Amino acid sequence: MTVAAGIGYALLALGPSLSLFVSVISRKPFLILTLLSSTLVWLVSLIVLSGLWRPFLPLKANVVWPYALLVLSSVCFQEALRFLFWKLYMRLEDVLDSFADRISRPRLFLTDKLQIALAGGLGHGVAHAVFFCLSLLTPAFGPATFYVDRCSKVPFFLISAIIALAFVTIHTFSMVIAFEGYAKGNRVDQVIVPVIHLSAGMLTLVNFASEGCMIGVPLLYLVASLTLLHCGKMVWQRLIESRNQSGSTLR
Amino acid sequence: MDRNHHQRPRSSSSILDSLGEELIGILTPVSICMFTVVLLVCLLNSDPSSSSSFSSIATAAYSETDSDSPWDKLLGALLNSLVFVAAITAATFLLVLLFYLRCVAFLKLYMGFSAFVVLANLGGEISVLLIDRFRLPIDAVTFSILLFNFSVVGVFAVFLSRFSILITQGYLVVIGVLVAYFFTMLPEWTTWVLLVALAVYDLAAVLLPVGPLRLLVEMAISRDEDIPALVYEARPVIRNNNLVQRRVWREQRSNHNDDVENSEAVTVVRSEISVPLIDDSSSRPESSETFLEGIGLGSSGAIKLGLGDFIFYSVLVGRAAMYDLMTVYACYLAIIAGLGVTLMLLSVYQKALPALPVSIMLGVVFYFLARLFLEVFVVQCSSNLVMF
Repeated sequence: MTVAAGIGYALLALGPSLSLFVSVISRKPFLILTLLSSTLVWLVSLIVLSGLWRPFLPLKANVVWPYALLVLSSVCFQEALRFLFWKLYMRLEDVLDSFADRISRPRLFLTDKLQIALAGGLGHGVAHAVFFCLSLLTPAFGPATFYVDRCSKVPFFLISAIIALAFVTIHTFSMVIAFEGYAKGNRVDQVIVPVIHLSAGMLTLVNFASEGCMIGVPLLYLVASLTLLHCGKMVWQRLIESRNQSGSTLR
Repeated sequence: MDRNHHQRPRSSSSILDSLGEELIGILTPVSICMFTVVLLVCLLNSDPSSSSSFSSIATAAYSETDSDSPWDKLLGALLNSLVFVAAITAATFLLVLLFYLRCVAFLKLYMGFSAFVVLANLGGEISVLLIDRFRLPIDAVTFSILLFNFSVVGVFAVFLSRFSILITQGYLVVIGVLVAYFFTMLPEWTTWVLLVALAVYDLAAVLLPVGPLRLLVEMAISRDEDIPALVYEARPVIRNNNLVQRRVWREQRSNHNDDVENSEAVTVVRSEISVPLIDDSSSRPESSETFLEGIGLGSSGAIKLGLGDFIFYSVLVGRAAMYDLMTVYACYLAIIAGLGVTLMLLSVYQKALPALPVSIMLGVVFYFLARLFLEVFVVQCSSNLVMF
């Protein structure tokens, strides 16, 4: 619907991540590299999934269960990949710590580790937004717009941008939760991340019903805000804990 | 693990603040170049039916038409690439000969001349296309004066070694963008086969003992001299408290780099390689440009990347942009990953390495994977508003 609308949709999906990038990530070059590598990991996972599902596509319209299977398999694969990503990150952390010792600088602080996890999550989120929303946005720069039958109140570009924003939030902050959960061995955190991802994926299946996006999208935002709250609570607890720890050793 | 906290003074910085700076210093201009080429392709190619008859030496053997069979197109593309690579090899050997005979002044003059031709000629053409597209009101006299000034400043930036670094870097990126945009106008099959052929050529020319680029590098090292060529160098930055200064260009070369800021504390061997590129259009006189291809570490510890690499990365991404934006993102990430792998190999092997092969191969693979598999999958999911 003109260039302004196209840019508007793009910013709707990626605006908060852009401000996060400019304020936090662009200050430290290492975080930019983390973001790029986690974007690449997400892209590779998507290519593998599309390669696996290619023989079965195109799926029949109006039948829900193939899509449910698709979402289930994709989420399982991506969560397994997240665990492998964390393992790789642990090795990298050892390398960085030994490098810091060698040049007699302080080791990685807690805030550094949280920032790396945030950059990793943001990479996943940005990759999701780019491939599921931005790459289909090219017609939006033209003179017309497009409506899908199942969601006829809102242009297609707008609804996909809104969904992409929710998923960016979910991916970004669940990576922080996941890294802390795996590092501390906290069962609750470890389990809650796949659960959030799966429920978010399944909620988008609600969009299959006619006008289902009216219910599906607010529920999705509920999941996103739950993720945000849980992550905030967890980070706050960790920071207080580490401050108490360092305070008690001052004696 | 957190015991260091109580020792931490307010102003101590973590290693995360400056790690990976050099890599970002080279990734930023590459990304800017690719982004600009994609933007130009999207803006100026909105009319797919007008196939501009772009004739250059890369289409001398065979010009593709839509009615040929795939096998014909493949053969024609292979023929084109062979001609192009042969021309480049001949020109590189000529360059090696001239460097051996110490005609350095001639080479520098030639470099300045080719920069002028690229900026004035190709820059002028693209500006005219942009003016036409956006209906900008500008008269011919103003335009020619501006273009002339722009090109002359560019020649100075490339020619003199004590020019402002930001302007030099900007002009190098602009030259890369202009040449890359023109290469995206080649026919499709020719472009892809040419990219793969150039990657193989780069590998052979840098690593084989008889390769022209390797000879050039060895001569330059043994004489302790610069090769006169177009190269992008990312200057490192020193941070003193809150003051940010740029490291001053050092005249003599140092073999040891014991700067704490430099994350790769390795001994540095200077290495540069150059490859000429020949661009011939029907109504224009023949012009050749000298570019640098390959990657190495500069004397001040900065990473040097040849302009030829900029150009061919951007050609790949530009050609991907002609299909769809999804392939653009996939190819961009593949190229960046390839560049990262090459830089890691550089820090391990510490000698001149070809920067094209890994990135181009990854880029081509990701392009075809994205086009064949990814697009169907993603469109299927998101048009039903199913996302994960």
